[in-house]
Amino acid sequence: MARASAATRVRVGLTAVILADQVAFLSRWSAYLSERMQANVTFTARESYQEILDLLFGNQLEAAWICGYPYVQQRERVDLLAVPIYQGQPLYRSYLIRPNAGVDRIGGWKDLRGRVLAYSDPLSNSGWLVPQAQLRAAGVAPSELRRGFFAHGHRNVAEAVAARLADAGCIDGYVWDTMLRQKMPAAGRTEVVWRSDLYGFPPLVVRKDTPGEVTEALRRSLLAMTQDAEGRSLLDSLNLDGFAEEPSSIFASIERLSLEQDRLG
Amino acid sequence: MFERLSYRFQIPCGLTLAVLLSALLVAGVAAQISARAARQEILTTVRQAMVLLSAQAKPLLAAEDIWRAFTLLRDTAALLPGVEQGETRGAILDAKGRILAGSDPVKLATGIQATGVASNQRATPPVKDIHTRYESLGPNGDLTLVEPIQSEDGEVLGFVYVEVDAQVFAPDWVAAAKPALIGAALAAALLVPLGWLTGVRMGRPIARIANCIARIGRKPAAQLKSELPMPRDPELGRISSAVRQLLSEMEVRQTAEQRALSAERLAAVGRITAAVAHEINNPLAGLLTAAQTLRVHGASEEARARSIDLIDRGLKQIQTMTAALLPQARVEDRALQPGDVNDVVTLVQPEAARMGVELKLDMDVSSAFRVPSAVVRQVMLNLLLNAIKAAGGGGTASAEVNADAETVKVTVSNSGVPLTDTALATRLASEGGNDPRGFGLWICREIANRFGGGFGLVPTSTAATKLCFWIPNLEANEQITAPH
Repeated sequence: MARASAATRVRVGLTAVILADQVAFLSRWSAYLSERMQANVTFTARESYQEILDLLFGNQLEAAWICGYPYVQQRERVDLLAVPIYQGQPLYRSYLIRPNAGVDRIGGWKDLRGRVLAYSDPLSNSGWLVPQAQLRAAGVAPSELRRGFFAHGHRNVAEAVAARLADAGCIDGYVWDTMLRQKMPAAGRTEVVWRSDLYGFPPLVVRKDTPGEVTEALRRSLLAMTQDAEGRSLLDSLNLDGFAEEPSSIFASIERLSLEQDRLG
Repeated sequence: MFERLSYRFQIPCGLTLAVLLSALLVAGVAAQISARAARQEILTTVRQAMVLLSAQAKPLLAAEDIWRAFTLLRDTAALLPGVEQGETRGAILDAKGRILAGSDPVKLATGIQATGVASNQRATPPVKDIHTRYESLGPNGDLTLVEPIQSEDGEVLGFVYVEVDAQVFAPDWVAAAKPALIGAALAAALLVPLGWLTGVRMGRPIARIANCIARIGRKPAAQLKSELPMPRDPELGRISSAVRQLLSEMEVRQTAEQRALSAERLAAVGRITAAVAHEINNPLAGLLTAAQTLRVHGASEEARARSIDLIDRGLKQIQTMTAALLPQARVEDRALQPGDVNDVVTLVQPEAARMGVELKLDMDVSSAFRVPSAVVRQVMLNLLLNAIKAAGGGGTASAEVNADAETVKVTVSNSGVPLTDTALATRLASEGGNDPRGFGLWICREIANRFGGGFGLVPTSTAATKLCFWIPNLEANEQITAPH
């Protein structure tokens, strides 16, 4: 197994793709990876994908867990490190959620005309790109919304909808399911109105200029997490089955949406 | 009801009531003051929060960051009073007065126009008219505040909007009254036993004074005076002094009455003695004259006979007088018997024969006599002797004696010159004067009064004068003695 030296510093950026504000969990995961890699692994969390990308391309991070949409946009500058396996496959869905109580609730995309819609992040596939395509498909122009806003994270989308700040929200299906599994109140006060097709799960990437041994060591450590109890425990906390090497083709559908979005401006 | 309670209950109850009333008044005043202070405090807090929101919201308005505006409101609104009850809400408005985000998105929904419209009895002016903080008090007490958020160069970026429902300003009566009521409860806990002890201490001298007053007339005044307390309380001291003075005055009056009674008795004895002396002195003069005549002319049969007659009349007059006084001297006597009545008639029979007066007796006794014999005998003797004298020669004197279970009545009439009420009153008032008959009548009236009976003229058509004496048919020790 390839290992980095003990003095090697491996900084991994996290975004809203996971519930990354659990300090104790990140500390455990960091210690786990550091031990496996014989390196100093640290995590850096930011609310937006753009901030993480800025840190990554500013050489402040060696790796990052980003969304499939920025991955396809930055494919020339990053390499796939690993893809999480969720419910047995490296795929996930986008959800449209609404409050689970109250009057005059929306029933689908067409009902969003004149309503407030919460997005997650402008670089989120499930929280921006997919909803844009669905609004177009439903014939609802963004200007026909009463308001649309970014909640800076999937979890915030659920909270905005639960608080009725928004009539509906676009959220990563894996995040919403995990929130519900962890009995978070915001998930409990919302319900899924619509589920998208499957898309490539938000991947972990490294800068192309990241030393190969670091990349390899980190990848091996991630892929091996299913092989020991501590790794399985961490994966259980993440509500994931494991990490795997997957071809970039699993993000083809996201790339198509991205190209369409770019074309329409 | 309350007045009937003793001081042991009145004082603690009164003190507790006073404390409770004071507590209620204090609570009421405190609540008013507290309400005013609370209102001012709420307004100050709201205004400070608006200043904070205004400063924090500038970059959010510039970026139209609804989520961060919402989290800012959510965190800041927690400082506002009434938020937890949903009675206070805040929002950040864009430059057109539309809600960017509200702390309660259901009531202040994103994208809704908040200024220049009237809703929920709240009316705010359009944004162009809001240049400084605007505060509006609705008809039901709801307060609405709008504060413009300006850039450094004075451009209006948006507004901070706050709604405060009237309930937030409602006085918290329970909180205001709680300290006063706790104080009242503590005071009552202290005052009830203290009041009880005070009541007992206050009531003790009052009870002793009342006890003394209740026994006035039944116990000697001197004894009651010695039992009277001398309380230090000025009011009770005055009452005690007044009772003491009353007892002293009663003591003096009782002594004076005793003296007056003794003096009256002495005067009565004196009057009787004078009357007796007078009545005896008159015949004595005749007797002395007759004795002198006998000494000088005793040899003459005619003079001797005349002198002896004179002596006989004089002695009889004295006998009459002493007989009239007889009951005054007797205390113990037996009950009257029918024979006593006949004895009296027998006694006066010689005088009636000498005067040529017809004497009649009618006795009707339906119940046994219980009255003292000497009293009735004396009265009957006096009345018959008077009647014989009043009837004169050829006249008639009648005596009726009636007795039933209630009364013994002696009625004596004569056929002489009628005796009027006025003449009888004069004779009784003069207590006999020179007329032995008058003295006898006075004695009769005194006896009647003494035994609770009566004496007076009775209207009659068969005789000139009819006098009636009656007393209750009771033994001497049962007789109701008439007051003096």
